[in-house]
Amino acid sequence: MNKELLNQLPADEQLVAVKLSSVAEQMKLSQSFQWNLETQLRAAYQSKKEAGQKSRPLNILSPIGWAIATICSVLLLSWIVRTLLPELQVAAGPTVTQEVSFETNVRAGNICAAPLAVGHNFSVSLTNQDKTGFVMLDEGKTIGELRSFAWSPDSRQLAIVGNTTGQGNIYLTNSTGKPLQPVLANSELGYLMGTSWSQDGKLLVTWSAQNNKVVYMLNTNGIGFVKRDLPVQIFETPQFAPGHESITFYGADSSLGDGLFQTMLNSSRTTMISDLVEDEVSFAWSPDGLRLAYIEMDRRLGEANLVVHKVDTGDKVVIASIPIPKGSGSSIPSSANLSWSSDGKALVFDFGRGASDRAVYLAYSNGTGMIKVADSAHAPAFSADGNCLAYISDKKVFLLGVRGISLTSTTAIPWFLAELPTGRSIADYRLDKLQWRP
Amino acid sequence: MTPFMAILQTQYPSMDDAHLAQQARADPEAFAELYRRHVTSVYRYHRAHTDNDKDAEDLTSQTFMVALEGIRSFRGTGPYIAWLMGIATRLRARFFRRRGSRPEIPLDAALQLPTSGLPTDKAAARHLQMDQILGALRSISQDRAEALILCFISELSTVEAAFVLGKSEAAIRMLISRGLQDLRTRTSLALEVDYE
Repeated sequence: MNKELLNQLPADEQLVAVKLSSVAEQMKLSQSFQWNLETQLRAAYQSKKEAGQKSRPLNILSPIGWAIATICSVLLLSWIVRTLLPELQVAAGPTVTQEVSFETNVRAGNICAAPLAVGHNFSVSLTNQDKTGFVMLDEGKTIGELRSFAWSPDSRQLAIVGNTTGQGNIYLTNSTGKPLQPVLANSELGYLMGTSWSQDGKLLVTWSAQNNKVVYMLNTNGIGFVKRDLPVQIFETPQFAPGHESITFYGADSSLGDGLFQTMLNSSRTTMISDLVEDEVSFAWSPDGLRLAYIEMDRRLGEANLVVHKVDTGDKVVIASIPIPKGSGSSIPSSANLSWSSDGKALVFDFGRGASDRAVYLAYSNGTGMIKVADSAHAPAFSADGNCLAYISDKKVFLLGVRGISLTSTTAIPWFLAELPTGRSIADYRLDKLQWRP
Repeated sequence: MTPFMAILQTQYPSMDDAHLAQQARADPEAFAELYRRHVTSVYRYHRAHTDNDKDAEDLTSQTFMVALEGIRSFRGTGPYIAWLMGIATRLRARFFRRRGSRPEIPLDAALQLPTSGLPTDKAAARHLQMDQILGALRSISQDRAEALILCFISELSTVEAAFVLGKSEAAIRMLISRGLQDLRTRTSLALEVDYE
C-alpha cells in the first residue's frame, strides 16, 4: 500500500484510495508464473551473452575502424580550417576574449555577485564564494527532503520548505547558509508543497498536499498564523498579488475546470483569470506589481501565448507566441519557470515536451520580440543586476551574459558555472529551480 | 536452471536501482534483483488494464524481456521503475491497438483469480469488488485512471509516475485528486462493497 501518498491525501479521498490499494493487494502473481519468467529471463540473458561473445572480433575491429576514420576527419578538417578559412580564426578572437571577461567578472564578483540558489533532487544549495560550485544546505540531512525555496524580496532570508516523514515546515536561512531554523514550533500542516513571500517580505504563504483547499499564511517568526479556506483546489504554490489582499495561483474549480485563479483573502471571493493557463509555474507578477504575465496554451489554435495583463487598465496583450505542434496531446508541450527581470523589461521561461527538448526563451515585455537563448535547458533565472541568466542543462548550471543578447543575434556564449549537486533522491526535473538572491 | 530469485534474494540488498541497472549490463544477477524488486508493480499495472491474469502475465513477461534487451539504453536520467513502467505502458498500448478494443474477461480466467484461504462467498465478493473497481477505473478519463493505477495499484510515487507519464508532479497530484473524486461520485455503490 502506498502509505506515504495515502497520508498526503485529503480524508475524503483517502477512502477511495484505500479501496484501490486493497484491490492491488488482491493481484497476486502465481509462483509458477514467476518461476517460468525467471527461467526465461536467465535463458535470454545467457543467449544474449553468447551472441555478444561470437561477435567480439567484430566488436574489437569496429572501434579501431572508427578511431582511424575520426583521426582522418580531424586532420582533414584542421587542414581546411588552416588553409581555406584563415579569416575565421581572426573572427574567433574577440569572442574568446569576451567569454573570459564575463567569467572573470562573475568570479571576481563584479557582476552577478549575489548567491545563486538551486533546488534539485530534494535538496537546496547555494553557490560558494567564488562561484566555482554549490554548497548543499542541511548537509547532515536532518530534514527528510527539501522540496522548494524562495528568497525574501529584501534578500535577507531564504525560506525553504522541508518535509520529514510527511510533516512539513518552513525553514529560514540566509545567504551565508547558516543552520536552518524552523518557522513553526510544531508543524501539523501535513506535507508542504511550496512557499512564497509577500512583496514586503513580512508574510509567507504555504499549502499542503493533504488539504489543497486551504492556504496558510504566517510571519517569519511563526506568530500570526492564519488559515484560509478556498472554494477551489490549489495545484501549485500561490503568489501574493501586490497589496497582499489576494493570492494568485494555478488551481481547479469543479465547474470551471483548471486555470489561473485569484482569491481575495478577506472574503475568499475567487475569480478565474484565464482558463487557458494549464501549467503550474506559468505566471508571475512584475516587480512593480502592475502587470501579471502568464502563458496561455491555446491548443485549439495551436499556439502558446505569453500574455501580459495590465492590472490598472485590464488590458491583455499577447507579447509573444510559440506554435504547439499538431498532435501534441492535452498536456505537452508545457511551459514553466516564468519570471521577470528585476527591471521589468524582460521575461524568461522554458517550454518544450520533456527534459531534453526544452528550450529557454527570453521575451521583451513591451512586445518587441522573443528569442530562444538556450536549447535543452530549463529553470532560467535572471540575476538581480540583470547581467546574468542562469539555467540548467544536462545536470549542469550555465550562465549567459544577458547584456550581449539582442533580438537579431545572440553573441553571448554560455559559460559553465558548476555541476548540479547530486541531491538526496531523484526528483522530477520540473522541481528544479534556480533563483538569484535579490 | 536456477531461477533468479532463488539465488539472488540477498545479493544486493542495499544497492539502489540506478547502480543495479548499470551493473545489470554485464551482470545477470543485478538484473535479477531489479526483476525481483519490480515484478509485482509491473504485473499489477498490466492486470489492472487487461482484466485477466493470462494477458497480464504475457505483458509482464514481455516487459522484462524488452527491459533486458534494452538495459543499456537506461541512462539514469530518471528512476529505473519509471523507465521500466514506460516500457510497460508502450507494450500495453500496443496490445490494445492490436486487439482493437478492451478485451472481455474469459470465464476460465475469471474463475482462476487467486483467493487462497478465503471462504467462497468472501472470495466471490472480492472478485466482484475487483471487477467493479477496475471497471470504474475504465469509466473515468484515461489519464486520470493511468495516474491512479500507477500510484495505487503499482505503488509508484508521484515523482515516479510523473516521469512515466511525462507530466509534472503537480499535474499527477491533480489527476489523482480528480480521479479519486470521479471514482467516488460515479461509482459510490462499487466502492461501498465491503468484503471484510
